[in-house]
Amino acid sequence: MRFLASLKITLLGMILLALAAALSYGNPADVSVWVLVAPLVLLAANLTAAIFTNPRINRQTGLLVFHVGLLGLVILVAIGRLTHLDAHIELTQDQEFSPDLLLDTKAGPLHAGSIGQVIFRQGPYTVDYEVGMKRGLTFSHVLVPQADGSAREEVIGDDRPLVLQGYRFYTSFNKGFSVLLTWEPDGGVPISGTVNMPSYPLFDYRQDNVWQAPGGPEVKFWLQLQTGITEKQAWTLDGRNSQGVLVVTSDELRTELRPGEAVTLPGGQLRYERLLTWMGYAVFYDPTIRWLFFVAIISVIGLGWHYWVKMGSRLLPSAHELRPEGLSDAVERSS
Amino acid sequence: MTEQSFASELPWLWAGLCAYALATFTSVWGVVTVQMRGLLVHEKRYEQLVLALLVTGVVLLTLAITARWVRIGHGPWISLFELLVSQLWSLGLVFSLVYWRVPALRASAVVALPVMWVLGTWVLTLEPTASHFPATYYNNWKWVHVLLGKAYLACLLIGVGLSGVMMARRFFPASRRWFAIMPGDDIIDRIAWRVMILALVFDSLMLIAGAVWAQDAWGRYWSWDALETSAFLTWLGLAVGLHLRATYKIPYWVGGAIIWGVFFLAFTTYFGTPYLSPAAHKGVV
Ligand code: HEM
Repeated sequence: MRFLASLKITLLGMILLALAAALSYGNPADVSVWVLVAPLVLLAANLTAAIFTNPRINRQTGLLVFHVGLLGLVILVAIGRLTHLDAHIELTQDQEFSPDLLLDTKAGPLHAGSIGQVIFRQGPYTVDYEVGMKRGLTFSHVLVPQADGSAREEVIGDDRPLVLQGYRFYTSFNKGFSVLLTWEPDGGVPISGTVNMPSYPLFDYRQDNVWQAPGGPEVKFWLQLQTGITEKQAWTLDGRNSQGVLVVTSDELRTELRPGEAVTLPGGQLRYERLLTWMGYAVFYDPTIRWLFFVAIISVIGLGWHYWVKMGSRLLPSAHELRPEGLSDAVERSS
Repeated sequence: MTEQSFASELPWLWAGLCAYALATFTSVWGVVTVQMRGLLVHEKRYEQLVLALLVTGVVLLTLAITARWVRIGHGPWISLFELLVSQLWSLGLVFSLVYWRVPALRASAVVALPVMWVLGTWVLTLEPTASHFPATYYNNWKWVHVLLGKAYLACLLIGVGLSGVMMARRFFPASRRWFAIMPGDDIIDRIAWRVMILALVFDSLMLIAGAVWAQDAWGRYWSWDALETSAFLTWLGLAVGLHLRATYKIPYWVGGAIIWGVFFLAFTTYFGTPYLSPAAHKGVV
């Protein structure tokens, strides 16, 4: 126990942790998480042993609170990593959230949140741009159903996430336009769906996509947008003030469709119903974040307390401490 | 018309930097000449002049920041130019307070104030171009984070001054006379490391506030981006320094060198990493 509690191990652990942090910069894919976990486990064992055996730490209350807090933070972060979920999602206007839509999902092995109970519907959004196309505030409207059957509208964006069942939905720069289409196969049942175009205005020049009609030809889409976009003035991106002409190309056929118009293709008819928007969200779930905050604050209070005790409850050093060095020489010489 | 010609903050900035420069010259002149005369009392005249010049500098920089705030519509949060001016202001403010309240440590100004020159000279090489205010900066945690960061860096600056005295006494024995008015190394060392504990308190709180802001603004409280990695290494540097001193009996000048090392790390975290690394602080995207 005494050996494990050695402060030399603390120094070694800290240096290893510093190396691990430097290696983890930017979360490179080829650096295992164990690079960080190993020094943290060493430090946690070392600290636990020191707390039990070293009076310099367990007799100084403030210092003890601080170090126990550090231990608590490491444990909480570990729980957080085991239970977290990170993902992205693109929701088209009027679309209802479903866990099946999550993309790039990364979840801890013990993740057990109730994502199945998250229900909301995407509404329209606006994004303000300053002169020079610099992105400002995002206002995304979402409808959250209430127990009484009504729906509450929330406006979220940037640092105001939608929080449901502990899952946090943050708007991202990734958002754009979408077209609602209906495909009426010859003699079959019509089906409707949306096709998202690339991020806007990032890919302003490349609003195209390819779609395979069920039982029909491959179709290329190009969306000619009128959004009022300008670099010279402030501008607001708003799907409700935007128009889009859909250029449909299939084999040699090229047709321009306005909302409500249709084109006949081999195997069926394709109708461009209307222009919609889609919003990309980052999804985050970690049940420990509140606890992390409280434990971190309590630790620092412990450290502040330790400082206060060390200073003898004074903010400034005492007059005795502050006697000039030269004076003691002079006093010695004269005596 | 260039940005320089209508940057209303520049005259105030130059004036403020001149005041700091004069404060530095006066403090060096005072420490050297007073000690040459073998005086072991505080020489009121020059110390009051240093304090007055520092306060004048702070007031002028307040005007510079206000003028820029009015001109571009937001505070000094974003560009390197803004961060440097803002730190020059807060470091000057805290250092003036310490200079005023703790006469025994005043002579360390000859080490601490030249650090301001580094910032001051640097800022003069930068364009005062108006910066864009990102959507994520409307968050109020920014205030908490930034103010705590200022307190933290100011603690480190005081530590740099005190360490400088210990190192000068070790490597330039002639300087012992200049600093004879200050306490002995044992006391300076103890005060410097207490200030480091205080720095650690502010640093830890700054990281907590930063993590809350990051959670709100970018949907994660920590992700090892360039700034976060650098800030964590600085925090760990403080921890290593405090424990080295608790584990081994290290010479005063070595402790001083560690404090300089931590300051260097903090300096690059503030003014280097976010602007030089390819993965700039997410806040500015
Ligand atoms: C992980 C293993 C750790 C162990 C075993 C440990 C142990 C100790 C012990 C025994 C002391 C008392 C030293 C003395 O009074 O002479 C101490 C002091 C201290 N520790 Fe730690 N510690 C650890 C980690 C940390 C970390 C990560 C920090 C973060 C910065 C930290 C900050 C401090 C501070 C500020 C002091 C007070 C130093 C002073 O009063 O001069 N410790 N630690």
